[in-house]
Amino acid sequence: MSDLVTGIRAQVRDLLARRRVEYVVGYETGSDGVNARPFFAYTTEEADRLVFDNTCTHNLTKYLVEPERRGSTIGVVVKPCDARSLTVLLAEHKFPRDVVAIGVVCPGIVQRTREGGDGEAPQARCQVCDQHTPPACDILVGEATAEGPVLDQFARLAPLEAQSAAERSAFWSQQFERCLRCYACRQTCPQCYCDECFAEALDPEWVGVRIGRAENWLFHAIRCFHLAGRCIGCDECERVCPVKIPLGLLNRKLRKEVLDRFEYRAGTRSDERPPLETFRKEEKLDLA
Amino acid sequence: MARVGVFICHCGSNIAGVVDCAAVASAARRMPGVVHAEENNYACSEVGQAAIRTAIKEHRLNRVVVASCSPRMHEPTFRRTVAMAGLNRYLMEMANIREHVSWVHGDDKPAATGKAIDSVRMAVAKVIRDERLTPGKVGITKRALVIGGGIAGIQAALDIANAGHEVILVEREPTIGGRMAQLDKTFPTLDCSACILTPRMVEVGQHPKIRLATTAQVEKVSGFVGNFEVTIRHRAKRVDHSVCTGCGTCWQKCPEKVPSEFDSGLGKRTCIYIPFPQAVPNKPVIDWANCRYQRYLAASGAEKKPPQCRICEKLCPAGAIRFQDEDSVVTEQVGAIVVSTGFQAFDHSAYPEYGGGRYKDVISCLQLERLLCASGPTGGEVVRPSDGKHPKTVVFVSCVGSRDDRVGRPYCSKVCCMYMAKQTILLKEHDPEVQAYVFYIDIRAGGKDFEEFVRRSQEEYGALWLRGRVAKVYEEDGKLIVRGEDSLVGRPVEVAADLVVLATGIEPSAGADALARTLGVSYNDYGFIVEAHPKLRPLESNTDGIFLAGTVSGPRDIPETVAQGSGAAAKVIGLLNQDELVTDPMVSRVDPLRCSGCLSCREVCPFDAIGSELLRDGRTAAKVNESSCKGCGLCVVTCRSGAMNLRGFTDQQLLAEVVAITR
Ligand SMILES: Cc1cc2nc3c(=O)[nH]c(=O)nc-3n(C[C@H](O)[C@H](O)[C@H](O)COP(=O)(O)OP(=O)(O)OC[C@H]3O[C@@H](n4cnc5c(N)ncnc54)[C@H](O)[C@@H]3O)c2cc1C
Ligand code: SF4
Ligand code: SF4
Ligand code: SF4
Ligand code: SF4
Ligand code: SF4
Repeated sequence: MSDLVTGIRAQVRDLLARRRVEYVVGYETGSDGVNARPFFAYTTEEADRLVFDNTCTHNLTKYLVEPERRGSTIGVVVKPCDARSLTVLLAEHKFPRDVVAIGVVCPGIVQRTREGGDGEAPQARCQVCDQHTPPACDILVGEATAEGPVLDQFARLAPLEAQSAAERSAFWSQQFERCLRCYACRQTCPQCYCDECFAEALDPEWVGVRIGRAENWLFHAIRCFHLAGRCIGCDECERVCPVKIPLGLLNRKLRKEVLDRFEYRAGTRSDERPPLETFRKEEKLDLA
Repeated sequence: MARVGVFICHCGSNIAGVVDCAAVASAARRMPGVVHAEENNYACSEVGQAAIRTAIKEHRLNRVVVASCSPRMHEPTFRRTVAMAGLNRYLMEMANIREHVSWVHGDDKPAATGKAIDSVRMAVAKVIRDERLTPGKVGITKRALVIGGGIAGIQAALDIANAGHEVILVEREPTIGGRMAQLDKTFPTLDCSACILTPRMVEVGQHPKIRLATTAQVEKVSGFVGNFEVTIRHRAKRVDHSVCTGCGTCWQKCPEKVPSEFDSGLGKRTCIYIPFPQAVPNKPVIDWANCRYQRYLAASGAEKKPPQCRICEKLCPAGAIRFQDEDSVVTEQVGAIVVSTGFQAFDHSAYPEYGGGRYKDVISCLQLERLLCASGPTGGEVVRPSDGKHPKTVVFVSCVGSRDDRVGRPYCSKVCCMYMAKQTILLKEHDPEVQAYVFYIDIRAGGKDFEEFVRRSQEEYGALWLRGRVAKVYEEDGKLIVRGEDSLVGRPVEVAADLVVLATGIEPSAGADALARTLGVSYNDYGFIVEAHPKLRPLESNTDGIFLAGTVSGPRDIPETVAQGSGAAAKVIGLLNQDELVTDPMVSRVDPLRCSGCLSCREVCPFDAIGSELLRDGRTAAKVNESSCKGCGLCVVTCRSGAMNLRGFTDQQLLAEVVAITR
């Protein structure tokens, strides 16, 4: 059993025994015996089912924003990228400050398909991850590591950026044409929590119900803007898409724009508001 | 059932000369919901309005579209018209077919007519979704805040107080008076500045209706016209003014001397001080950063402690010294605000070629005012800062920080030509042997008696006005060589001067932009506050209830500044004389079922109009304070959940307009 697992279990047992939290959202090993899945530990016995390894892909903060959990004191196991979600969600008042974040030093998550067995290559987000120690957590499990050199997180964008606007438009049309509007991307995204998403609103009806090219474009364009300055780059939306639309490209591009323009990375600082909610005098100069 | 009537105005030939109004009317008649359409020569005239009222009765109209000019122009007019006919005044929409159509598409009449029809189609789609709205009422706090106690703020405060309303006057410095207190005599009449200013200052200090807060700053403003809440920081004076008698013992004995701001650095003042003898209030403050006792306290144990000093404390017969005094922050309720934070002189270090700062005898115009002034640091003797000798040749350089893109000040400071003329006259009166030269770009002397005044400088007082820019000032054999050109004769000139005076321009006082942001009013690229309308509303900011006076909104001289102070006061008095204010019902509203409680809207609202409420199901939702909301719509576009809607401009209405032109 890894030190991380021992550490998490000890911490969670303690939190539950002290009744500091009602329950803890963490990971356990799934029914395939390999891949981790979300798990809710309510008792100290259940705490011993918790695991942590390189298959813990889900961003568990997603559960905290569910309406039925309002009013509960919850603990949550977070990787560094998940911790960034937590920061964004806290700033957006999605849950009270007394949520207990159990941050885990993250070794990186591997790519797997449902069938499993396609090697142990790290996920794209992990290849560019420069933050393996979770920021601003209540409890830290694991040794804080010096952050090693990483691939350029925007390298993936270069081929698309080299294209003309028309080519890019054609590329995305092709992608969006396949979209089923199953909304799995939205459901998994921790930053998507509206009780009524614009995509399903009927009065006014921003996006037509039809699954067609124009409607699909509109859904993705608006969602993308709703995440500008808020997307923390977990790439979960891309991972869950059943038809493999590279949503990570879209969101990463916006992350890049926000970084270039406002020197802002969502979730890395709790004392700063997202750039699209604030205005600094210097900004007006090049917003042409 | 909507029964829409459409009225198409010709505006004489303004619209009808370009747009085929008959075609617009017949197209309108076929639009869904429209039961009547007619043309009208001048819809806003009494006849035109009567026609609208008659049609409302005759055709039982319950919504009205007027296709005419910009709603900025006549929306209130037509709202009143429909109200007189018994309709709710918010069931009227305007289609702007003049500014948006006829005036800009005169070269393509068929296209203009097409666009006019589209505009009407949009307005019809919107008006069908209009709701009846009712304005609310709120009370008024009958007290005014004036920020900045220069002559503008003094005038405003006195006028408001004399009309019977309470005034809080907040001044950043230890005294009121502003820049005018530093001037010697004033153009074009040459009356002594202090002689006309100080009685006003005293009146402010003694007025039972004015509460004066010096060394104070406005930190936060919330609320809205009629009901502002203002947070004021009173910086520690370290002298208890309720005990101090202003006897002056302390500032005569304080051993620590620092350059006097009031004398533009030419003289010294003590560390416990009043800025000048006629200061109001006439009680001192301690400049803590420079105080010896402060340095004693700050010295760490390791180093040798400097002496404690505390002389003022020992000598003060009233026991008024309070070294431990701290800043205090208080909130005040006011109904109206006048901003009169004035100007500062441009910092000439942006022009190294003129040698300001490098050569002692290159001074600013404000420094010359202090040298000319009988109560100045030299007792009214104009002498060179370097050697105390009387200068005989004095060169003025105009437009230092004015009309110059290179330093980001393309505007004219308006008063410099005139004060240069004044200073040449005063110099000659001080010493008949003085020869003044003025390098200028243009002489701007538009004002009563101004041109005559400049001519006096030239003809009676022999000042030589040379048209041309100065390229360089450098020192040679104890003289300052001013090299420029005389562009009228087109050749370079050099003057060997004893004193060079830089006519530094006028820019907003430091921190004016930050204050503007605190107040929620707009300012331009230079930091001057922008008027609600440059011609028709020069004393209003674009926030209701916040008024402007003096140089805070642009360069001007004393008479104009005083006129503005009185004008702003008149606006304030008009406001405070009312008992309640009618609030605009076109404000935002939250749909709590949709709101996700992210409170992004609260972050962006420039008017602090949004709070939050706990719903019964445990969720948090945003809540709009309707009397603070200005209907700017920022929250609406920020809300991802579509929970915010602006009454009168709802998502449904705007989408209906978009659909109407894209179908
Ligand atoms: C060298 C020179 C000579 C001049 N000669 C003449 C002349 O002969 N005749 C003439 O008509 N005009 C003359 N003028 C112009 C004249 O000085 C101005 O028109 C006048 O002083 C403007 O008054 P004001 O009240 O607008 O601003 P100010 O006099 O600048 O007063 C502003 C006040 O607000 C205070 N303040 C600033 N910021 C804050 C803040 N954030 N909070 C609280 N208080 C604040 C300041 O301390 C100051 O007391 C001259 C100007 C110069 C530079
Ligand atoms: S998960 Fe994929 S298919 Fe489903 S809505 Fe999102 S992009 Fe479309
Ligand atoms: S896409 Fe936008 S509206 Fe939809 S859930 Fe996410 S943030 Fe809310
Ligand atoms: S990467 Fe996708 S799922 Fe993750 S925060 Fe961004 S948009 Fe949401
Ligand atoms: S922005 Fe919208 S969802 Fe968020 S608190 Fe405001 S009204 Fe509610
Ligand atoms: S419309 Fe919204 S953002 Fe604008 S003032 Fe009203 S509440 Fe504030």
